[in-house]
Amino acid sequence: MKANWEKLENNTGILTIEVEPEQVNEAIDQAFKKAVKKVNIPGFRKGKVPRKIFEARFGVESLYQDAFDLMFPVVYGQAVSETGINPVDRPEVDLEQIGKDQNWVIKATVTVKPEVALGDYKGIEIESKDFAVTEEDIENELKTMQERSAELNVVEDGSVENGDYAIIDFEGFVDGEAFEGGAGENYNLEIGSNTFIPGFEEQVIGMKKDEEKDIVVTFPENYHAENLAGKEATFKVKLNEIKRKNLPELDDEFAKDVSEFETLEELKVDIKNKLEKKAEEDKENYQRQAVIEKVAANATIDIPEIMIEHEVDHMMKDFEQRLLSQGINLDLYYQFSGLDEEQLRGQMKEDATGRVRNSLTLEAISKAENVEVTDEEVDEEINNLAEMYRRSADEIRQIFAAQDQLEGLKNDIRIRKTIDLLVESSKAVA
Amino acid sequence: MKEARDVILRPIITERTTEMMADNKYVFEVAPKSNKTEVKQAIESIFDVTVESVNTINVKGKPKRMGRYVGKRKDWKKAIVKLSSDSKPLEFFEG
Repeated sequence: MKANWEKLENNTGILTIEVEPEQVNEAIDQAFKKAVKKVNIPGFRKGKVPRKIFEARFGVESLYQDAFDLMFPVVYGQAVSETGINPVDRPEVDLEQIGKDQNWVIKATVTVKPEVALGDYKGIEIESKDFAVTEEDIENELKTMQERSAELNVVEDGSVENGDYAIIDFEGFVDGEAFEGGAGENYNLEIGSNTFIPGFEEQVIGMKKDEEKDIVVTFPENYHAENLAGKEATFKVKLNEIKRKNLPELDDEFAKDVSEFETLEELKVDIKNKLEKKAEEDKENYQRQAVIEKVAANATIDIPEIMIEHEVDHMMKDFEQRLLSQGINLDLYYQFSGLDEEQLRGQMKEDATGRVRNSLTLEAISKAENVEVTDEEVDEEINNLAEMYRRSADEIRQIFAAQDQLEGLKNDIRIRKTIDLLVESSKAVA
Repeated sequence: MKEARDVILRPIITERTTEMMADNKYVFEVAPKSNKTEVKQAIESIFDVTVESVNTINVKGKPKRMGRYVGKRKDWKKAIVKLSSDSKPLEFFEG
């Protein structure tokens, strides 16, 4: 087999592969063995037809397509590694010359990974951002915990206040006529949540249990139902029950209830630690992201369209998975988002371009900086993964090996190390 | 004498006969009225080979019925022709 790589513009090129007759014949033999199982010739059982009879009847050419399909992946792989190119897509194949006992000449038009002209990537300046945990953050965290453990108490006497839940029956009339969607029973309305038309909730405030009242409101001009927008409506409202949120006191008792800590002080310290840890992570993520973006922006790459398309495909699949985990399929999503596939892909395209650009840049840098991954590092990563998935390290290793992914894992680590390198060398500026 | 191609009707090509070709034996359907000598001469003139021996078998047609009518497929004669060991193999193209 001989291979020749001829580079053209736009990251494409023509890979010419010449295959000797011996190899071709081997492939034809294999193709024959496959085809012979399927043909029916009178006088022969299936799969027992001699080669000669088969060829006399169907012609040896009938085997060429199958032989090519069998042979191509092998010789293509060889040719790619021989010429050292990095294809990003399936090649477009043209058979230049085929025939019995001849060299077969295959021309494949291939899109290859673009070359990356790296810009500055060391000592990148990133804007520093404050991730420090403030007293206020802790207070906020405490408050949400407080809200979460709040109890709803029924208020027997007294009137509705802001923040209460009012259980109401209501029926709305416009011009003396009931309208669709204007009625409800035992509706749980949180006062101050602004779920109802502006003005409605305010008028409920002050009502007492079992009190009935007519509430007059005007639908806003931009109301979604056109026939109601801007009209005045009267709601007959009956208040069935008042429920009031009862926030627990922030004290040691509360700390005991919501956590394993004895005192409020301990809980606060814990919250602070957690927040700080999170802030640390946020900061790291921010730095990495910022560095990558800057470095990628500095590099010059002519990204082939097909790579972007691939990335979009990838993202679409991801997106579909996420939707499915929420019990929505893509068709349904298209329906209620009013987008079609074309538009959705268009939206993802920009993101995809960025991602491709980032990964290409990082790859180029890791090459330029000779970032090496040792076996120990791979072991460590596998151990980490094993812990995460609660499996044994050997099991994880086998899974990766079975899917031929050890190299991919190595690549992941390489990229991560590259980013580490970039972050280390970067400078924070205010 | 009869024409050679009126004597030899068609080659019989099956799994079994292809195996027999390795022994230089070829099987044909021949005209039922022909004899071994005629077959020998016909084969020699068509394929330009020397025939060592000819064996013939009269094959009875199978009885077949269509509902209440009993019919019979035609009887035919099979000839197994052995070529001399120095003759070239025959090629059949009609398959």
